[in-house]
Amino acid sequence: MTEQQNKIKLRTTVTREPKTRNGVTALILFGLVGGMTGLAFASDPLYRIFCKVTGYGGTTQVAEAPAESKIIDHMVTVRFDANVNKSLPWRFKSVQNTIKVRLGEQALAFFEATNVSDKPIVGTATFNVAPFKAGEYFNKIECFCFTEQVLKPGQTVQMPVTFYVDPAIIKDRNTVDVKTITLSYTFFAGDDQSEAQKLQTTHVITKDEENILISRESSPKG
Amino acid sequence: MSETAHADAHEHHDHRPTGWKRWVYSTNHKDIGTMYLALAMIGAIVGTAASMAIRVELHEPGVQFITDFQFYNVLVTAHGFIMVFFVVMPALIGGFGNWFIPLMIGTPDMAFPRMNNISFWLLPAALILLVIAGLIDGGPGTGWTVYPPLANADFHPGMAVDFGILSLHLAGASSILGAINFITTIVNMRAPGMTFHRMPLFIWAMLLTAILLLLAIPVLAGALTMLLTDRNFDTAFFSPAGGGDPLLWQHLFWFFGHPEVYIMIIPAFGVISEIVSTFSKKPIFGYLGMAYAMAAIGVVGFIVWAHHMYTVGFNVETRAYFTLATMVIAVPTGVKIFSWLATMWGGSIKFDTPMLFAMGFIFLFVVGGVTGVTLANAGADQAFHDTYFVVAHFHYVLSVAAIFAMYAGFYYWIGKMSGKQYPEGMARLQFWVTFIGVNILFFPQHFAGMAGMPRRIPDYPDAYAGWNMISSWGAYITAVGAILFFVVLWKTLTSKETVAANQWGTGANTLEWTVASPAPFHTHEQTPAIGTQPAAIGTQPAE
Amino acid sequence: MQNSRRIILGYNSGVAFLITAFAAFMASGANAAEPIPWQMNFQPAATPVMEKIIDFHNLLLTIQVGIVVLVLGLMLYIIIKFNSKSNPEPSKTTHNTPLEVIWTVIPIVILIVLAVPSMKLLFFMDKAPNPEMTLKITGHQWYWSYQYPDNGDFEFDSNIIPDDEIKPGQRRLLEVDNQVVLPVNTEIRLLMTSEDVIHNWAIPAFGVKMDTVPGRTNESWIKVTKPGTYYGQCSELCGVNHGFMPVAVKVVSKDEFKKWAAEAKKEFAKAKNTPVKVVKMKSPAQAQLR
Repeated sequence: MTEQQNKIKLRTTVTREPKTRNGVTALILFGLVGGMTGLAFASDPLYRIFCKVTGYGGTTQVAEAPAESKIIDHMVTVRFDANVNKSLPWRFKSVQNTIKVRLGEQALAFFEATNVSDKPIVGTATFNVAPFKAGEYFNKIECFCFTEQVLKPGQTVQMPVTFYVDPAIIKDRNTVDVKTITLSYTFFAGDDQSEAQKLQTTHVITKDEENILISRESSPKG
Repeated sequence: MSETAHADAHEHHDHRPTGWKRWVYSTNHKDIGTMYLALAMIGAIVGTAASMAIRVELHEPGVQFITDFQFYNVLVTAHGFIMVFFVVMPALIGGFGNWFIPLMIGTPDMAFPRMNNISFWLLPAALILLVIAGLIDGGPGTGWTVYPPLANADFHPGMAVDFGILSLHLAGASSILGAINFITTIVNMRAPGMTFHRMPLFIWAMLLTAILLLLAIPVLAGALTMLLTDRNFDTAFFSPAGGGDPLLWQHLFWFFGHPEVYIMIIPAFGVISEIVSTFSKKPIFGYLGMAYAMAAIGVVGFIVWAHHMYTVGFNVETRAYFTLATMVIAVPTGVKIFSWLATMWGGSIKFDTPMLFAMGFIFLFVVGGVTGVTLANAGADQAFHDTYFVVAHFHYVLSVAAIFAMYAGFYYWIGKMSGKQYPEGMARLQFWVTFIGVNILFFPQHFAGMAGMPRRIPDYPDAYAGWNMISSWGAYITAVGAILFFVVLWKTLTSKETVAANQWGTGANTLEWTVASPAPFHTHEQTPAIGTQPAAIGTQPAE
Repeated sequence: MQNSRRIILGYNSGVAFLITAFAAFMASGANAAEPIPWQMNFQPAATPVMEKIIDFHNLLLTIQVGIVVLVLGLMLYIIIKFNSKSNPEPSKTTHNTPLEVIWTVIPIVILIVLAVPSMKLLFFMDKAPNPEMTLKITGHQWYWSYQYPDNGDFEFDSNIIPDDEIKPGQRRLLEVDNQVVLPVNTEIRLLMTSEDVIHNWAIPAFGVKMDTVPGRTNESWIKVTKPGTYYGQCSELCGVNHGFMPVAVKVVSKDEFKKWAAEAKKEFAKAKNTPVKVVKMKSPAQAQLR
């Protein structure tokens, strides 16, 4: 009998007492799960900020126009590269293949986009520079990629980008070997097409417009 | 010791539910463990069927029988998901963990028995969703990595990927609940006297695995949710058009994915440690080193994820960092290998089937481990990335090693779980068939990979024909081994030969061997007193 | 395909199998720019990067074989010496601090020995000395397109030659309609991107393998030292026909390349000037092709 009682007593000490402790432990662990889930979602803005700040993955910097005095006599070649995602029926090309600039010197380049569909469409461009390590030193002053672009059917626009390369690039042991920087854009169909919807009346592309479009496309590169 | 078991059986036979209620409503850790093992076997049949279809298709150049290449990709995807989430994890963590954590730490059951029930029953639901995913809208042909944009609505319209995501959400919820249960049980409910430094290594392994699960799975869940909203609600986490980045998915996926491989292999380490110690009749060599080596592997596992992404286009510094961090893992892994060898050294080893599988595990893990060092180097990886060399590497460490640990654990504990003796001769035959099979299956894949054969292709240039044919034959031999396993299982369960409470003798000194075989429905109702046990309990260092 | 069937049938007899396998293994050292039957090693290097990869891997392999043999040896010794028959009384040793320190320190030393050449290789790959020309590569579902911005800015698509159009002597699944032509001994900048999903442009003999990611441009470089035709395949799962978008590069002398580029400019410019097909769309929202 005493043995039996002992047993019961033992069991209660094993199970009852730690029950609250178990609850607390589980609560802490659930908190940890919540925290990690939160971190996963926070990674999206954090990743963007990280890329912007460090130029990670060739993310370029945004800057004011540079001071003239900062220009130094060291040339780099900037190449221009244009791409269109499959989702967007546009033609997109760089007007010039390369330009040579002095470090710290403001430069202007043009890209040209044509809407080859029969509807107005919003396009939005992503961009990076290669090699990636140059991203930190590649400053854009103005760029068509900062905003969404709306093109009417058959419309062609020339889009400017002004930029300069930070002279600090030759002070960095890592980037001193960079002689050529490629500035690359890819146009995607914008997720938000409301601007295009506003433009869309009952416009149907006419034969004339189609011909103009074709002749533009076939003309040699400027 | 048998007195305890005796009393238990008398006291509680009336509390024991019967029929289908016993299983569906089960809150008993042993029954839930058994159900996990059964689910893993069902998963293994489906997953193996997928891999056999792949190997038959690749037996010769040209199209054998899979004319729809989307279906081939779905097979590759299903094979990966099922083997990871529905075979290795339920067997090693859910099955052995549920069965033996309470038995080994001397507590009657898990901390939250009803949560344990939910953890289990989420998994069959998840498996059903995954099978549905494979059958509708062409199935998810994304690979288990589910990289967008391929996994986006643009390239996988239809519901297949959505079902796959929901399946993983359920499997993830199951793992998280299970992990919380495991950690709470191990932290709070150890028998008095069983300090952290006296816990068996299997318990250490389970604790660390549960912690890894707790930290890694929520990240996967978050990423999957983002992918789901990208697909269905026009968000743009991973879509460049809306300012997202497809590479963010890869970062998140591998932040989960790399710890996930340790989630699969650390329980295997635990099982192997117990078996090596038992059959050598020696306590584990360098117990603390072993425990902390596992902890170190777990910690470092969280800071090496991008070594899966060397070719996405990284700064050189990023690749340099991940190369060096990844190579560090070789050190604790080496400690484990050498400690196992040292445990065997000077032992009086009986080479029963569990020990054969354990030794097979150690050797094959070394073979797979050294190629891991190759792949850790971002420079060399440029030649190896996404080739069959990678396939060979991760199948050696995960498929082969993890499955050897599962087989080893099964033979080691089936006597405790069923009370029956497995047929030793047939079991040894099963070991040798499997050992020969997996090596013929996976070793030639190193060669195909070095010659340049990419992964995940349904047909290959004719030059790769030779090694692929050999590899396919290896797969058939391995399948024979798997069939043999089911024969052994059948023979064991129908056998009349019973086993003693401690069938392995003096080497087996963890607490599960102090209760009767088969383990009664309720065990350790009376807390075992660790300090007064004559034999050293667990694999703790002598004090 | 028929060819390969015959090869496989031939191997069914054991002796022939061994002899041919050995011959093929020996032959794998010969200058081939494509995979060959029973190859067990890398394709011969055609760029300095691949040469360095092979050198580094040789070092890795030596150490790895050493480790595997050591473990195997120890295990065999244990099996012979410490089985329950030869050694009925187990030792009680559970600790040996010097030993534990040794098997922690020696791997660290080995890793340091490996890390130095590994880092050298990595930084060598990353540095593009000063490329003379640029090849722009774009991945599509499921073909590649190539652009030569510095050689007349022409571009063309490169599609697989399907099995039923393969001519004798051509390599099934590796041949394309328009090969990339590049000059030998020239540093070439590779710019890569994708129009849809992630692909991966890889040529084993060049030691080049890089993802093409939509919305971003990756950069790599090559300098091919031997003329010849080189083959590779898409190396990132990209959908249904992932296995059917090979890469074929023909490397020729600088003069031949100039001639080819002039021809190609005319040929592919013609294709480029065909009238634009106006894309008829139902609504702007459809632009997303959802």
